[in-house]
Amino acid sequence: MTLSRYASSSWRRLGAVLLLGLAGVVSSAMAQQDETPQQPLPPHEQAHFAAKTDEGVPLIIHAALDIPYAMPLLEDFHQRHPQYDITYRNFSTLDVHQRFLDAPAEADVVISSAMPWQYLLVNAGHAQSIETPTTRRWPSDAKWRHELFAFTFEPIVMVVSRALEERVGPINSHADLLSLLVEQSDALQGRVVTYSPVSAGAGYTYAIEESRLSPRYWDLVAALGRADTQLVDTTSSMLDGLADGRFDIGYNVLGSYARESVAASPSLRMVIPDDYALVIRRLAFVPRQAPHPSAARRFIDYLLGSHGQRVIAEANELGALHPELDGPGTANALRRAQPEGLRPTPLSPGLLATLDDLKRRALLSRWQREFHDQIAGKPVHGR
Amino acid sequence: MRGDSLHSRLLTWLLLPMLLVGTVVLWRAWLDARQTADRAFDRLLDAATLAIAEQAQWQEDRLWLDLPPAALEMLATQHDERVFYRLVDARGDHVTGNADLPGIDLSGRRASDMGYANISWNGMPMRLGVRRSRLEDWRLREPYEIRVAHTLEGRDALSQELFRQSLAYLLAVAVLSVAALIVAIRLALEPLTKLRRQIRSRDPRTLAPLELALPRELAELRDTVNELLARMRRVKANQERFIGDASHQLRTPLAGLSARAELALRQTDPQAWRTALSAMHATSQGASRLAMQLLSLTRLDNPEYQPQLTPTGLVQVAREAVMTHWQRCQRSGVDLGLDAPEGEVTVLALDWQLGEALANLIDNACRYGARHVTIVVTDTPPTLSVVDDGPGIPSERRLLALRPFHRGQQSGEGSGLGLAIVDGIARTHGARLTLADGGTAPSPGLSVSMEFQATVTPDDPPVTTRHSLS
Repeated sequence: MTLSRYASSSWRRLGAVLLLGLAGVVSSAMAQQDETPQQPLPPHEQAHFAAKTDEGVPLIIHAALDIPYAMPLLEDFHQRHPQYDITYRNFSTLDVHQRFLDAPAEADVVISSAMPWQYLLVNAGHAQSIETPTTRRWPSDAKWRHELFAFTFEPIVMVVSRALEERVGPINSHADLLSLLVEQSDALQGRVVTYSPVSAGAGYTYAIEESRLSPRYWDLVAALGRADTQLVDTTSSMLDGLADGRFDIGYNVLGSYARESVAASPSLRMVIPDDYALVIRRLAFVPRQAPHPSAARRFIDYLLGSHGQRVIAEANELGALHPELDGPGTANALRRAQPEGLRPTPLSPGLLATLDDLKRRALLSRWQREFHDQIAGKPVHGR
Repeated sequence: MRGDSLHSRLLTWLLLPMLLVGTVVLWRAWLDARQTADRAFDRLLDAATLAIAEQAQWQEDRLWLDLPPAALEMLATQHDERVFYRLVDARGDHVTGNADLPGIDLSGRRASDMGYANISWNGMPMRLGVRRSRLEDWRLREPYEIRVAHTLEGRDALSQELFRQSLAYLLAVAVLSVAALIVAIRLALEPLTKLRRQIRSRDPRTLAPLELALPRELAELRDTVNELLARMRRVKANQERFIGDASHQLRTPLAGLSARAELALRQTDPQAWRTALSAMHATSQGASRLAMQLLSLTRLDNPEYQPQLTPTGLVQVAREAVMTHWQRCQRSGVDLGLDAPEGEVTVLALDWQLGEALANLIDNACRYGARHVTIVVTDTPPTLSVVDDGPGIPSERRLLALRPFHRGQQSGEGSGLGLAIVDGIARTHGARLTLADGGTAPSPGLSVSMEFQATVTPDDPPVTTRHSLS
């Protein structure tokens, strides 16, 4: 990595971001000077790679993928294609969606882990078809109409404290968790943390997926409610609380983000449940009105090609989907380790149902009923 | 030749309708394929709306839907169709789904019917299915409308698949039919080729009939050719006999001359020479007359000979003939007369030929022992006849008498060409030659008439002039 690879302001800012441990969201004034948007950009981080050739071709990527995870990919891509002047902006999933609706001709590539929202946009015809030898070879269950491409494989995991496991035995599945919550609900009061499906989009997405997978999910929700489970909005607040020892169990943590944190703290263990584990795949598409479609095409090609996928695999966090890659950090290795339980969310119109407003309200009210009824019901039992 | 062969004609006129029929069948197959694909995929719209309708309910004082994801999954096949849906209440207000998905006019249909339409929405062609239904609650019978739409990739793929199958089938049929057609035409035209080969391989001198088994249409052609060949055979036989007869006729006087000269050369008496010379002179005159007659007969028999006929007066011709032959007849004791109408009778003719004919007839009459010979001219129809009171010709032999070298009697010094020449002249003039009895007892006599066609109409100026003059 050399300094000259980055615009100096971005580099300094990025350094700051890395030092802050990804917690802070920095949007420098310098970054916003580069363009003249109709509306101010939502809060975001930005990285910039200046073109090394005289006539640089701009490439603007809007993503919901934290910069430290994107950095190895961007560096490698820039080294292979130095003619591109890359601007990478990282938003929250909802912001990246809203920003696209506000300015559909701004970004060349849109990346997000919010699969239903990405699917909604592409279904409505906002993406252009990318047909290259690479995209044609891409597995058909990881692409939709050559417009929407999944390029990572990230299981949703549990993070448990080793101290708890020493007391109560190993927790390896949802069934283990349910029986533990039922048996030890008093001991676990306030010691479990998960996404709030009401205020966190990811939490809602996982809830609707799990409720589709098994009706026993509602037993789990009720048990979580009885254990007075803490509801938070971000993976990082869950991981922070787990690292601090405030929580014993983190349920439904994005595995790609948990891996590093768990490796850093020996008191925690990451569990990919062996009965079932949701898998989300980050989705990328090229907007129909992308200002630099050929640059976008090249980037998608890179992302799905063996170079980009190898970088993803070697970073060992996002999970490379490329069918020919194997070894640590690939979907193939994960599938071998968990031959039965992996449940990747399919790229299908079912995702649209997730976004149905009435459906959302129905699910959330059921969820809250199951979650809170038990608390309200407790005194009844006690009476 | 290549441009207009029976082969290419048949092929063209059989292939053109086939092509037309093929086009119609293909068009029909395409429509059918589209219809089949639509029927198959409309079932998906139907099932999806049913699945959605099952989840419609009354909740929180409003129409509510717990959208089943499977209903949307149903609408997408492996072709990844785009999928849209919408729930609309009785007043047409939006409840949930894609807010601006249009509906279709279902008025006039039963309440629970499905309606389908091809629409273009947001620039995308798609198929829309609309179901009208109502809640099946105890009290609440709230009507609502479910709309689902998907893009056409699956339908297009299926209809193309079906069409490709029909196309392959039709192409196979077409190839087979064309092959069969070519073979059939070959077989049908084979006899024609056979006929051509046989005609080509014939000896050009032979006139033998074609012996060849042929289908009916060609058999008629073969029979016609064979008839022509038969006629040519007869003509050729006639010519050969004529040449034989002519040589024979000429050889006799020449042999006579030779014998007489030889005899005379043995003599020394100039008186004998003189006698011999005068006899030879008479013989050579006869031979020369024979040669003349043969010449004119040949000329008359030539079908290429088409003399220019001019208006000629028959009475004039008859009068000249009487004047020419009267003295000779008188010397041999024959009474030559003329029986003609007052005016002139004009026909299209050659006067010298008519004169020749009359000369031959008068000569014949004199030779075969007639005492009275009359040239008769009549007006309507224009006829020129020679009537005598000689022995005549029995009616069954009259036709034979017209053939060259046929003489009514074996004796006599005639050449046997006279009547043949007259016949030829009559044919040249398009006149009808009739042989009949002379009609004076005791001997039957002979009347030979040439009846001309009345080609000269009364209002023809030269003829009118002649009539007025005479």
